[in-house]
Amino acid sequence: MTFKPLPASVTPEIDLGDSFVTTTVDAVVNWGRRNSLWPFPFGTACCAIEFMGVVSSMFDISRFGAELVRFSPRQADLLIIAGTVTYKQAPVLRRIYEQMCEPRWVISAGACATSGGFYDCYCTVPGIDEIIPVDIYIAGCPPRPEAFLEAIVQLQNKIDRESMKEQRTVGV
Amino acid sequence: MIASHAPVPHGPIQPGLGALQLEEHLRDRFAMVRDPRDLTGLTMVVAPERLREAIKYLRDAENLKFAMLLDVVGIDYLSFPDHRESRFAVVYLLKSLDFRHRLSLKVWVDEERPAVPSVHELYKSANWAEREVWDQYGIVFTDHPNLKRLLNHHEFIGHALRKDYPCQKRQKLSVNDMMIDQLEARLKSRGYTLLEHGEQHPGSLITRPSAVPHTGAPPPPGGATGARP
Repeated sequence: MTFKPLPASVTPEIDLGDSFVTTTVDAVVNWGRRNSLWPFPFGTACCAIEFMGVVSSMFDISRFGAELVRFSPRQADLLIIAGTVTYKQAPVLRRIYEQMCEPRWVISAGACATSGGFYDCYCTVPGIDEIIPVDIYIAGCPPRPEAFLEAIVQLQNKIDRESMKEQRTVGV
Repeated sequence: MIASHAPVPHGPIQPGLGALQLEEHLRDRFAMVRDPRDLTGLTMVVAPERLREAIKYLRDAENLKFAMLLDVVGIDYLSFPDHRESRFAVVYLLKSLDFRHRLSLKVWVDEERPAVPSVHELYKSANWAEREVWDQYGIVFTDHPNLKRLLNHHEFIGHALRKDYPCQKRQKLSVNDMMIDQLEARLKSRGYTLLEHGEQHPGSLITRPSAVPHTGAPPPPGGATGARP
């Protein structure tokens, strides 16, 4: 096989046409991450029932690429806390968060996970951000499925703005 | 054709003691007095030293048969108006399935020495119910086999439902509450032996029926993690 140089009149860029695009690593990586979130549901109360509606056909979280619910934190990158968290549970939640691989995101769904809700008492954690960092909070008691989907969309927008240059905080 | 509205046939309701009769009976037999605070049903106050005897009698007597302990409840009368008795009370809620009546037994509990005899030998349900009362009120049940906190975590200081506990005072838990001792006891009672130990998930414990001699060889596939003997 012999090497034939291209004729001087042909420039290789023109020849390749639409067969490649230029982009950045961040854009490609974030595109992949945002459209294939793997949620781990930490469901402790009625918000988790609402989450079942979000996953099911009526609202269908798979339209946003996040339908593959995992029950192992090692296989998930999106932790959804749906329900009341007590101080007795707090170390379990903390451990599950620590077992998730980077990058990982957290959605706090509903009034209880976000602020303790109406459980203003000795045993309920007043907001899970006392224990783990949270990316998106959803209001509601329980939130409507649309609010869950809005949270997914907002999280996707947030992932879009992330950059590999900025390292995410590891296990504060 | 419209179905007739005849009453649904029950089993025969056997004659038990009526509420007034029961009150008199318990007053004569165990020197109980009726609690003037009871608004619904019958609440009898019994001395702690006669509690076990009384509950055993109520459970076994042919014309009473209080076969079911519905709950054990603690009460803190700290800020109760015009209260002269002890600060705490423990109330036993009994139900007779045969005669369909209920009875509350109340025991006054001293603040300095908050102790009541346990009735776990008479009713299995008393085990957890008494643990809950201990957890929330700090009332000791003497001779209880496993008087540990039930609802609050093991690092919790104080008793949350006492009226002098600030109800919004939160207490963080640093280390997870492993319930390995209870799991271990349950597995042993089913003939399993615990091979691994320590800080780990209970699901990863490898057990085997103790009937199989331990040869040091790896457990047989499929039979190692959950098969019953």
